[in-house]
Formats: sequence, C-alpha cells, structure tokens
Amino acid sequence: MKRVECEFEAEVLSAALQSRWPDRVESELREHVASCAICSDVMAVAVALDEAREDTHACAVVPDSGRMWWQAQLRARREAAETAGRPITAAQVIALAFAVGLLGACFGATSKWFQASLGWFGSSIAGLRIPALLPSAFSLLAEHGALVLGMAAVVLLVPAAVYFTMLRD
Amino acid sequence: MLRDTTFDDASRDCTLDDACPAFVMDEESFRGFYDRTARGVWAYLARVTGDRQLADDLVQETYYRFLRASANYESETHRRNSLYRIATNLARDARRRSLIRAPFSSGGEDIERVPSADHAGTTERKTDVTRAMSHLKPQERAMLWLAYAEGASHREIADVLGLRPASLKPLLFRARRRLATLLGRPPIEERS
Repeated sequence: MKRVECEFEAEVLSAALQSRWPDRVESELREHVASCAICSDVMAVAVALDEAREDTHACAVVPDSGRMWWQAQLRARREAAETAGRPITAAQVIALAFAVGLLGACFGATSKWFQASLGWFGSSIAGLRIPALLPSAFSLLAEHGALVLGMAAVVLLVPAAVYFTMLRD
Repeated sequence: MLRDTTFDDASRDCTLDDACPAFVMDEESFRGFYDRTARGVWAYLARVTGDRQLADDLVQETYYRFLRASANYESETHRRNSLYRIATNLARDARRRSLIRAPFSSGGEDIERVPSADHAGTTERKTDVTRAMSHLKPQERAMLWLAYAEGASHREIADVLGLRPASLKPLLFRARRRLATLLGRPPIEERS
C-alpha cells in the first residue's frame, strides 16, 4: 500500500510555517526532506502557500468591524420584519381562495344556465372521438405548422423568461 | 448577501425603535473576533474561488450567517472552524450557481497584486502559485490552503470541508502531489 504520510511531516510543516527552513533546521531534517517524497512535497507546497498567504493577506481589503456589525443588525431587522409579515400574507391568500371557492359554489348551485352549460360541456367532451379528429389536426399542422410552433414557443418561453428574470432579481 | 447599504439608509433605519436582533455574540466580542479572522477568511475565499469581488461578497455573507447561527461555541477554534465551514459552503453554492464568472482567468493576477516593489523572480513565483492552484479542484484548493497556509489540523480541515477524517489523508496527499507537480517539483524518485 502506498504511503500517504510521514512521521516527520509535522516537523517539516512547522519549520516551513515558522520560516526556519532551510537555515535554521537540523541537518538530519534537511537530509530527510531531500530523500522523502512526502516531506519534500510538504516543504515545497508549504513554502509556496505560506508566501501566497502573506501576499493575499496584504492585499485583502475587508470592511471595518463596526460597519460589518451595523449592516448585519440592519439586515437582521429587515429580515425579521419580512418574516413577521409572511404569515399574514399567507393567511390572506388562503382566505381569498376560500371566498372565491364559496362564491363559485353558491353561483353553481343557484344558476340554472350555468348548470345547463356545464352539462353541455360534459356531454361534448364525452362525445369526442379523438381518432376521428387526428386527420384534421394533421392537416392543420401541415398548413399552419410554423404559426402553431411559434405560438407554442411563446406560451412556453414567456413564463420561463418571467420566472428566470424574477429568480435573478 | 448583504445589500449595499449606504450610511443614509442606515441612519434612516436606525431611527426605528426595534429591539436588537438576536445574534450569537455581542458587539464587542464580534468585533474582536472579526478583526482576528476577517483577512484570513477573505484570503481563503479569494484563493478557493479565484475571484476577488466574489470573496468580498462572500465575506460579508459569511459573517452575517455566522452571527445568525444559533450555536454555542466551546472555544475560539470551534468558532473559527464554524466560520470557515460557512465560508466553504457559500463558495460551493456560488460555484454551483455559476456565480464564479471566470475562475482565475483574470482574478488570479488580481489576487497577487501586492503594493510593494518585488523582484521579478518573486513576482513570477507568486504568479506560478496562482496558476498552479487554478488547475486544482476547488476542494483541493480549500484543503491545501487550510493545511499549509492556515496551519489547520487534519481534524479541523475535515470538519470545515465536511469530510471524514480518515479520508482526508489520501485526499490531501493527492492534492499536495498535484500542486507540487504543477509547481515544477517532480516526485523525488524522478529527481537526482
């Protein structure tokens, strides 16, 4: 099985991170690093990344801690207000749905012409013969295929575009 | 993400007599912790994402989420690990949502821009590290940065990256070998 760690790894890493490499380490450790594949990689990577860390820290521009605290407070307050408002909105939507449903039920139960229309629509659907409609549907597609495709694309793409725009916002 | 709040917005909002939102720390502790860790977190995010601007945004989001997390921290190390875990998850989410515009394409040099008169060799070496890191997977970059720039232990790295401690050693070994190769260090058997 391939070796993935070495007992001197921690010592090598500490020498690299404390900038003791190569002058301020014992000669045995230097010899070990020169002959150990793992420790030589640790040394190379640690020295490179330690230098990179110093440079990256030097060019880091972070907001002041007071400003960060203040902004976090403001955002938390806004979110708390939004969260508090959310259940009211949900309750309003549910109440509206109930009201519309109730109104519809009352209208359906009392209106004779509505019941007659509903009956006619149901019998029309039941009397439909799909195979008989297929040839005319194909001929319609052949004549106005581009138009049908365009309309289908608009019907599908517009809601998708609206959805993605809102998502991005 | 934290919206760009101007001081005018802030002063307007502060006239509200709201109670202070519940955060895991008080202001003084937070400011001390932030001053000790912010540059390190920024550097970590800049190196993992390869994008300076994204790192700016993610730092703010990281600290906000850290403040909102309802966790009890046993120690400074535990708290710091939790912060880096939040940062790691945010960087991962940003990558998934393709917010990273072009990792390391221009950002790499941007990261390495240091306001000092460096020798040509030093600058070249820095650019090499950035280029080499750009060829690694984000998880490899995170792992190596935590291990060799931040000096984190294996257990801490596993905790931050959500890995099993047992699987970290081979992963770290492979990532280290890859970076060493990219830095122009062939395996030791091949040298001589």
